[in-house]
Amino acid sequence: MEMKSTSWLKARNLSRSYRRGSSEVRALDDVSVSVERGEYISIVGSSGSGKTTLLNLLSGLDSPTSGTVEFQGTALQLMTKRELALYRAKKVGMVFQSFNLIPQFTALQNVEIALYFNGTNAKERRRQSQAILEQLGLSDRVTHKPADLSGGEQQRVALARAIVKKPEILFADEPTGNLDYENAQQIASLINNLNKENYTIILVTHNIELAKKNSNRIIKMQYGKIAEGDGAKGEGSMQI
Amino acid sequence: MTVPDMLRISLGNMWRMKLRASLTVAGVTIAIAAFVSMISFGAGNQQNIERQYNDLGLFTTMYVYPKDKSNGVDTIVHPKLDKQALTRFAKISGVNLVYPYDAFSIKIKFGDSIITSRAQSISSEAIQTKLYSRINTGKTFDSDSSKQIIISSEVVKQLGIAVPDSVIGKKVIAYVHVSQIDSGLAHILVDKGESLLDRIKKIHFDSLLNSRYRAKVIRSEVNSVIRRFLNGFMNAQEKLTDTLVVCGVRDVVRSGRMKIEPVIIPIATAERFRSNGFSQNPVEIFSAMSSGTFLKESDDINGFSYSQVTLDLDSHTPYQSIKDTIEHLGYKTFSFAEQFKEIQKFFFYFDIGLGIIGLIALITASLGIVNTMVMSIIERKREIGILKSLGAYERDIGILFLFESGMIGLIGTTLGIFVGWTITRIISMVAQSYMRDQGIPDMQLFALPVWLILISLAVGIGVSVLAGFYPAARASRIDPVEALRND
Repeated sequence: MEMKSTSWLKARNLSRSYRRGSSEVRALDDVSVSVERGEYISIVGSSGSGKTTLLNLLSGLDSPTSGTVEFQGTALQLMTKRELALYRAKKVGMVFQSFNLIPQFTALQNVEIALYFNGTNAKERRRQSQAILEQLGLSDRVTHKPADLSGGEQQRVALARAIVKKPEILFADEPTGNLDYENAQQIASLINNLNKENYTIILVTHNIELAKKNSNRIIKMQYGKIAEGDGAKGEGSMQI
Repeated sequence: MTVPDMLRISLGNMWRMKLRASLTVAGVTIAIAAFVSMISFGAGNQQNIERQYNDLGLFTTMYVYPKDKSNGVDTIVHPKLDKQALTRFAKISGVNLVYPYDAFSIKIKFGDSIITSRAQSISSEAIQTKLYSRINTGKTFDSDSSKQIIISSEVVKQLGIAVPDSVIGKKVIAYVHVSQIDSGLAHILVDKGESLLDRIKKIHFDSLLNSRYRAKVIRSEVNSVIRRFLNGFMNAQEKLTDTLVVCGVRDVVRSGRMKIEPVIIPIATAERFRSNGFSQNPVEIFSAMSSGTFLKESDDINGFSYSQVTLDLDSHTPYQSIKDTIEHLGYKTFSFAEQFKEIQKFFFYFDIGLGIIGLIALITASLGIVNTMVMSIIERKREIGILKSLGAYERDIGILFLFESGMIGLIGTTLGIFVGWTITRIISMVAQSYMRDQGIPDMQLFALPVWLILISLAVGIGVSVLAGFYPAARASRIDPVEALRND
């Protein structure tokens, strides 16, 4: 796997505050991170440390109160809403702890929906979705709805949905958080394999063992700041 | 996102909220059913009128009247509607046939029954026009001079005949009592042994300078002239009789300006009743007085002018050009085609009025759509977050919700059109059964033309989509981070 030396995804002085009642909560405080193509970064930290907020800002799902996120030299904050939506539709894949599948859709339809927004035609959507489900061992589950699938299967469908559009970065927010050990291992293994296929992975997890086992770099968050490690590879990153 | 994608998502969501979606669709269905049934009533009536106009050939029928006599101040002399005028009209391009309206009172005797009715003389050419050729039983007459008669079903009933078919080929006696104008004029000169000269001799010419005496003499002499004329006119009556064979029975036609009398007699046959004076019908007498034809002028070759002339027009020639030509000649016209345009205008406003009532129901139903869609947003907040995380643009979400409200509108409207149509069929069946019992001819009270279906679909879907705007805007603004939060 060839790695570029220049920063591919870069966050500079990111801060994010929320208004909760009359008070302001600073979820992220002046965080800078650099990600290079093909990296597998794990963000760890306790609840409320700002991990998910950082992930949402990097994925373009949320906007920072201050600071910038640049992807391949383009600041997400300078993009129009349309361009930002296209960034999420084409460049970014997301996996969530609670799977976030659409309950009335089958596994196949849940995967297909990821291709709705990037201009793939219906026939190709069907073909690619079936192929990815087969690749993840779910070929006999394509017509099942989420309620008829196990937690592990649901997360594999969610993973299929995230990677079917062949994104450049996969953001995974506690993907094993709702799974038993065996399924968690399976999902972790799949994500690890994706990294080997040149996918850039940014994983948020409580599971330090998982982070240590698979990632190139770990960033530990605390109170909205980076406590250990930082954005740049080799510059203060936690030793794995 | 393609239309089939949105269709699948929309139908999936509606299926998931079956009861709520069904109730919302029911609201739209009821509103559209009301809208359709009300407007289809207007459309049905309009179609009935149009059909009647077509059947009677009214779109190609024009009436011509002489202009009113001058009022004393106006010195313009308007042209008479006489035979010369008829010849001029016949030469106008687009005029197929010209025939006068010539009617008179008549008595018809069949067996022991005698009725008084109105008769109209018609040429054998005119009887072939759509206006007159619709015969229920029998046929039209053979020639202008045939001893035949066409009577209306009402006359048949008045003569005490139960089955109209049975009267065909039967003989009836038609007769009129006419008064002689000459007799009236003679009585002005001499009445009850007193001559006009005797009366003049009684006037004190010296006293005529006195205005009161002069006014008294004028009043007295005018009254005397009228009394003596009427004595001679009314008392010297002649009975003109003819035996005619009933050749046809036609429906009673009563429609505004249209004049078709209950009895129709061939024009040459009718001359017998028309040539010798006046019937005792005061209307006929006053009509002749008013038209200035009571006493025929000596220089009038034909001695007669008509109160109305009918023109049968070529359907390909615009009626307006013919109307303009005739009015330019100094006559008044009445065009049924023009009248129909006014009727159409009336129905347009009538339909709009009914449509507004239906629209109120639809607006009420649209509030149900707003409610359903807002509830849907609350329930589908996470789904919206998922779609946004997958790259859905705000507008995609908005369109999805508009599509859903449009789907509710489409389903509700389609069902509404069907329900509305069913309701109108049921009402129509009941009404027709009642009308048949009352002897009223069958007619469709309601109509569902294609334009009404298209307008209903446009209105139903349009209002539903409008109702979806607020929920759509609200859905599109949902923050995906908030929507996907794990709580």
